[in-house]
Amino acid sequence: MENGQVQNVLIVGVGGQGVLTASDILATVCLASGYDVKKSEVHGMAKRGGVVYTHVRYGRKVLSPLIEPGEGDVLLAFEPAEALRWSKYLKPGGTLITNLRQRVPPASCLDRRPQAAVRYPQEIQRSLRQQLGDVRVLDAESLAMELGNPRVSNTVLLGVLSNVCEFSTEDWTSAIERSVKPQAREINRRAFLAGRNMQFPAAEEEPAAAPAQEAAASLAIADIEIRETWCKGCEICVVVCPQNCLKMNDAKKAVVADASSCIRCMLCEWLCPDLAVNVH
Amino acid sequence: MFDFKEYLRLDMFPHMLCPGCGHGIVLGAMLRAIHSLGLSKDEVMVVSGIGCSSRLSGYVDFNTLHTTHGRPLAFATGIKLARPELKVIVITGDGDALSIGGNHLIHAARRNLAMTCLLLNNEIYGMTGGQSAPTTTPGKISTTSPKGQTERAFDSCRLAEAAGATFVARGITYEPAAVERLIAAALQHNGFSFVEILSDCPEFFGRFNRVGSPSDMLFTQKQNTLDAKAAAALPPERRKGKLLTGILHQDSAPEYLATLDQNFAGAVRPDMRE
Amino acid sequence: MATSTANSIELLAGNTACAKAAIAAGCRFFAGYPISPSSEIAEKLARLLPEVGGRFIQMEDEIASLAAVIGASLAGKKAMTATSGPGFSLMQEHIGYAAYAEVPCVIVDVMRGGPSTGLPTSPSQGDVMQARWGTHGDHPSIALAPASPKEFYELTVRAFNLAERLRTPVTLLCDEVVAHMYEKVDMAALAKLPIENRKKPTGAPGRHLAYAPGEDGVPVMAPFGDGYRYHVTGLAHDERGYPTQNPAVIAATQRRLHDKIEWQRRDIVQFETVDCNDAEVVVFAYGIVSAAARQALRLARAQGIRAGLFRAITLWPSPTEEIAALAEQVDRIVVAEMNLGQMLGEVQRAAGNAKRIDTCLKADGETITPEEILAVLKAGRETHV
Repeated sequence: MENGQVQNVLIVGVGGQGVLTASDILATVCLASGYDVKKSEVHGMAKRGGVVYTHVRYGRKVLSPLIEPGEGDVLLAFEPAEALRWSKYLKPGGTLITNLRQRVPPASCLDRRPQAAVRYPQEIQRSLRQQLGDVRVLDAESLAMELGNPRVSNTVLLGVLSNVCEFSTEDWTSAIERSVKPQAREINRRAFLAGRNMQFPAAEEEPAAAPAQEAAASLAIADIEIRETWCKGCEICVVVCPQNCLKMNDAKKAVVADASSCIRCMLCEWLCPDLAVNVH
Repeated sequence: MFDFKEYLRLDMFPHMLCPGCGHGIVLGAMLRAIHSLGLSKDEVMVVSGIGCSSRLSGYVDFNTLHTTHGRPLAFATGIKLARPELKVIVITGDGDALSIGGNHLIHAARRNLAMTCLLLNNEIYGMTGGQSAPTTTPGKISTTSPKGQTERAFDSCRLAEAAGATFVARGITYEPAAVERLIAAALQHNGFSFVEILSDCPEFFGRFNRVGSPSDMLFTQKQNTLDAKAAAALPPERRKGKLLTGILHQDSAPEYLATLDQNFAGAVRPDMRE
Repeated sequence: MATSTANSIELLAGNTACAKAAIAAGCRFFAGYPISPSSEIAEKLARLLPEVGGRFIQMEDEIASLAAVIGASLAGKKAMTATSGPGFSLMQEHIGYAAYAEVPCVIVDVMRGGPSTGLPTSPSQGDVMQARWGTHGDHPSIALAPASPKEFYELTVRAFNLAERLRTPVTLLCDEVVAHMYEKVDMAALAKLPIENRKKPTGAPGRHLAYAPGEDGVPVMAPFGDGYRYHVTGLAHDERGYPTQNPAVIAATQRRLHDKIEWQRRDIVQFETVDCNDAEVVVFAYGIVSAAARQALRLARAQGIRAGLFRAITLWPSPTEEIAALAEQVDRIVVAEMNLGQMLGEVQRAAGNAKRIDTCLKADGETITPEEILAVLKAGRETHV
């Protein structure tokens, strides 16, 4: 970065993904490296699946805290649909880093007409590639899972970001360590390095999109109907079922494991906070 | 045959509540209670305030009114007086009904106008991110009581009864069938009926206070409560520190509108009689 | 058709006129909380409403009062409340709710001296700006200011008509003098005032869009309980009444809320001019101050000052176009009001910087006298009394 220039980093995602923590860490690194930094965040409804975004601007002197469309140097998206939504904020030649793991925020991605399917943007990567040059896509959750905890996926993404926002590894890792509990430092350090060591563009073959949920529609097996798009994965139904009819799938959704032993006690339906379960 | 989807605005789902939030369980119980009484969707009026629980009004296919913070009982009072044939249900939260709306609660209880107030108590302000509520028990952590709640908590059922509510009950989401029965009984009561339902907030209360998963929190409800009838037979030491559930109070004081109409019987001008 | 007879002549106090007018306008619900100097309106309606099959309730506070009024209105009744400054302050959140959820209702504010508990219950016109901007957020506002008990009656009927036609809260800003003043009124003449009722939907309930506007920008309102099940919220909402965060939808609604008032501005804005044709100086006044101004005009003309009066009847939307036209003709405008300059800003804005504007302002619990206005007319210089 040249003297007097300001670097604009936009970090976006949906509630609960760690967007705010990531932006805190970036701001800490900027300060540690002697830059002026301004950060502005929006997160009102975040815990309820809303969109979260933060603007981080750093340089020798930063006045405005907000990034205008077409001004962004880097867009770090924790969620691919959010990458698409915010891509117009990037300047030509800007860098997009996006996670592939889909999260469908209830308030933003639903067609709210009766019986409509969930409308989640398809072919996100292709449309982004057409718009932008430097696109770095990864399935951060898978990498994090390999490291042992899906919750460090935001640190993996910071690792990827660290190759674009060039601060020293030490500055990054010490900022990350300060933001996590002592017992989580090691896994976060490894997650950061895993992201930092990733090569882009990756091999010809891009990783396939990793959907959190299949199409829409209801999944009816035997007598127990679970509307997958309504289920938020609290696991109550699985725990309370006396017959172990239900289980959690890899996407953290309740599914029917074996409906044949169902005794119609109705607990799953009555105790589902999401009204996602019907026992017919 | 009951299918709760008939009572929902399907185009509003999935709802906006957090994973494991007890309010959806109460919603299901309320719909079953309404169905069990054979009420038509047109005659049900749901009024709510502001907060997580108050968002429930948007998801049900009745006449629904999402009002301002703390005031749903006051709005409901106007509706009931204007249209007595409506079954008015007020859905409110602990912050909504006991803090900012405390005045309206005690006066609605005193007035004894026939409507049903469901207070969903999760001991915290969820919508704004986990601040302490007038129901947060001493020592519990919230974002505004980081070292534990200093103030004492309201027992909303005792408050409602003292203020004159003629039907007072408490349920827990751990027992959805009992909640359904309590709501049905409240809806049939001719007077102001008040039902508090303990409904968990795993996202904030649960996380801050390290009380485990949503299902763990449900089981804890059962440990912290006692059925009022069963409790009556127990020695005091076994009732200590437990909240009572079930119908806690019921009396037959005159209903507000009945009294009002009686007082003004014959007042209507001949040219104004319908 | 009613005609004037000996029986139709009454000596009517302002607050009584308001209560009787409400019944005549079709008001069938009142919720309120006692506060001087408005309490007589509640007391009258506690007796009058049951006679016409309506309902009266005394609520626990003014917040609850307007909430109950909005509830009753949504359930199909014409509804109102009455209060004074401190209660009007408490009602502000629900005035915003009624504006945004488009619930017709009438709020009477019998103004007393403020701020705070202020001057119970000396006259004031200090709530004018609160009637415009008291609640948060952008919203249109309609406020009417009667200058006599008879006009209090007429404007109460008109307030209901505007509220029902435009689905909006309407404020009656009455000063304490008018509320407690008695005057001879021919009730037969008042009985001829036109009454407007809200439109009801005619289509099938299933297709009813609660907030789809008609050509006049006003959505047709289905009362709760008539089979049109829908959602009403104070959150930003779409045409179905469902909460939305879509900026385009929100912007369109914001625009429409203002447009529906703006499009009927010429009908809504009422005013009276007295002796303005040859006037060199015009007094701008409203409410009871206009009575003092009339006398001041006579005194001034007797002394050779060609004075006129512009009496605003509608304060919001403010009569800026009409003031601007008048400002073209006269040398000077004297703004007389019982506050430290609230409509003054509107007059300045309408008349422009070039026009000389003098003031006769007073906020001490006393009414402005004709002599005080005359002094400003004569001196031609700013006089803060």
